[in-house]
Amino acid sequence: MRRHALAAFVFGASAAAPLAIRDGFFLDSLILILMWGAVSGAWNVAGGYAGQVSLGHSAFFGIGAYSAALMATRWNASPWLGMLVGAVVATGAGLIIGYLSNRLKGPYFALATIAFSQVLLIVASRWRGFTAGSEGVPVPFRPGFWTLGFASKVSWVYLILCLALAVYLVQVYLERSRIGYRLAGVREDEDAAEALGIPSRRLKVMAVAASAALTSVCGSLWAQYVGFVDPFYVFSVDLSIRFSLNAIIGGVGTAMGPFIGSILITSLETFLRASFSDVRGGLVGIYLIIYGCLLIVVVRFIPQGLVGWFGQRFRAMRLHARA
Amino acid sequence: MTALPQLLVSTVLLGGIYALIAVGLTLIFGIMRVVNFAHGEFLMLGMYLAFWSFTLWGLDPYFLLVIAVPLFFAIGLGVYALVMRGVIHASHNVQIFTTVGLSTALQNVALVFWTGDFRFVRPWESSIVIRIFGAAFNLSQVIAFAVALLFTLALFAFMKWTHAGRVMRATAQDGEAATLMGIDTDRVYRLAFAIGIACVGVAGVLISPLYSVYPTAGLQFVLLAYVVVVLGGLGDMVGALLGSLIVAAVEVIGSYVFGSAWKEVIYFVLFIAVLVFRPAGLLGQRGAEALGV
Repeated sequence: MRRHALAAFVFGASAAAPLAIRDGFFLDSLILILMWGAVSGAWNVAGGYAGQVSLGHSAFFGIGAYSAALMATRWNASPWLGMLVGAVVATGAGLIIGYLSNRLKGPYFALATIAFSQVLLIVASRWRGFTAGSEGVPVPFRPGFWTLGFASKVSWVYLILCLALAVYLVQVYLERSRIGYRLAGVREDEDAAEALGIPSRRLKVMAVAASAALTSVCGSLWAQYVGFVDPFYVFSVDLSIRFSLNAIIGGVGTAMGPFIGSILITSLETFLRASFSDVRGGLVGIYLIIYGCLLIVVVRFIPQGLVGWFGQRFRAMRLHARA
Repeated sequence: MTALPQLLVSTVLLGGIYALIAVGLTLIFGIMRVVNFAHGEFLMLGMYLAFWSFTLWGLDPYFLLVIAVPLFFAIGLGVYALVMRGVIHASHNVQIFTTVGLSTALQNVALVFWTGDFRFVRPWESSIVIRIFGAAFNLSQVIAFAVALLFTLALFAFMKWTHAGRVMRATAQDGEAATLMGIDTDRVYRLAFAIGIACVGVAGVLISPLYSVYPTAGLQFVLLAYVVVVLGGLGDMVGALLGSLIVAAVEVIGSYVFGSAWKEVIYFVLFIAVLVFRPAGLLGQRGAEALGV
């Protein structure tokens, strides 16, 4: 149980917070923290557990966002259905990208994924007949559970909390299951894993596809929550970097890492946005300068991330106490 | 086929400029084995340098080259010492995210200080149109091409005939053996990084009259430079030259046939296809990418 103490605390506090605090700004921040934590967790499935570092995950996020929005505006369908369609399309795209990952290593794979997200960005912003082009798609607000229209932010908190929990559990599964151990084997030494009879290629493709599907589901929910899909945002490289950033700061390949990273980064962003928004527009970029520097410092000095780092300290302390 | 001369001239002019951006990238990769995701941001800084000198002091971008080369060389040395040096022997993921972090930070430094407005540099050369055999282009393009070609050739000569160049090539081929021969690899990496950054900074100054200047201007060029570099084989300088011409041809012909809106899709698809089918590049040996990267 001790292993899940941090998760229980974070998710428990998120569930309890709306009961006490009804402030819109606070609830919005909480939703965004859980949302970005969940997407980073989805990224972590490929980038952390399978070791396939993608810098184009916004492609899958955008697929999810566009599926939900277009299904709702064009065919008046439920966003839940759009979410499903998005997940299927993203799985397909994930299979292709996963196949690429078998041929490409390290920086080559990262480059290919960036190119992939850029292709989708161009298609989404230029194919005016289908996606409404660079203007983006406004998502209609239709109240009700089936149409995913909640006026109250409290309902959104619980919905996104469910999403975050689901992503967390997927990651825990990848830590503790047979498949997870095999993936770790492939990540650490592919040749050795192959020699032991582990089908490394298939496992990597599966991990990337699963990560893509999860990211797409997050994208669909995000589109419904925000109410607008802008191609230059949902397919941007910046967004892909943000997904990986949370996981790296919190701890790549740890189930809680992406959420811890998101708590830090998202609150920092919200705080800086709030404090600089009235000064001058451009100053908002300050938080991104901090992001960049933080990223450089963290990968250099604590490459295992905060969760990994504290985990090590904690274990060392316990061993010390026992001795 | 009346458009043929125009397409040819545009391809060559564009290819020369892409080559200068790409040789710096491929030099850094070939010697340091680090993929520099922040390469485009130095291009962007070069463009801003040209913009501010032009607006504040009326300095023509091409006179600025005298300042730009040493300035970006110094910036390269500084960034190497502060950021790159510590990660040169680290894992790919650490290197990727170090340069990604650098890229994010630099982009937003530009955003905070100079806002996100699109800016333009319009010296007198860019309004002079030259027509030969039905092909039209402006003087800025020709100067940019000529200077880019000059720098690229100078770099080739440097790598081939000077002692420092030979030392750098030796380090690229086998870093450990180079160390055993008494080569200070840290100095080699520092020099390679600084030269690469100087090349791309100069490229930024050169292209400033041709494109608009804004904080994320580097992104489109860096992706393009990667297409070039991967086509030519990462680390292969002659390959980079050839790759630039191919990418320029694809871009020019693509925009002529499909309209300029879709040209990027064409070269990204080309990029992914090359990564998948010839990851070592068109000239590279099969399997080379697995050894080097």
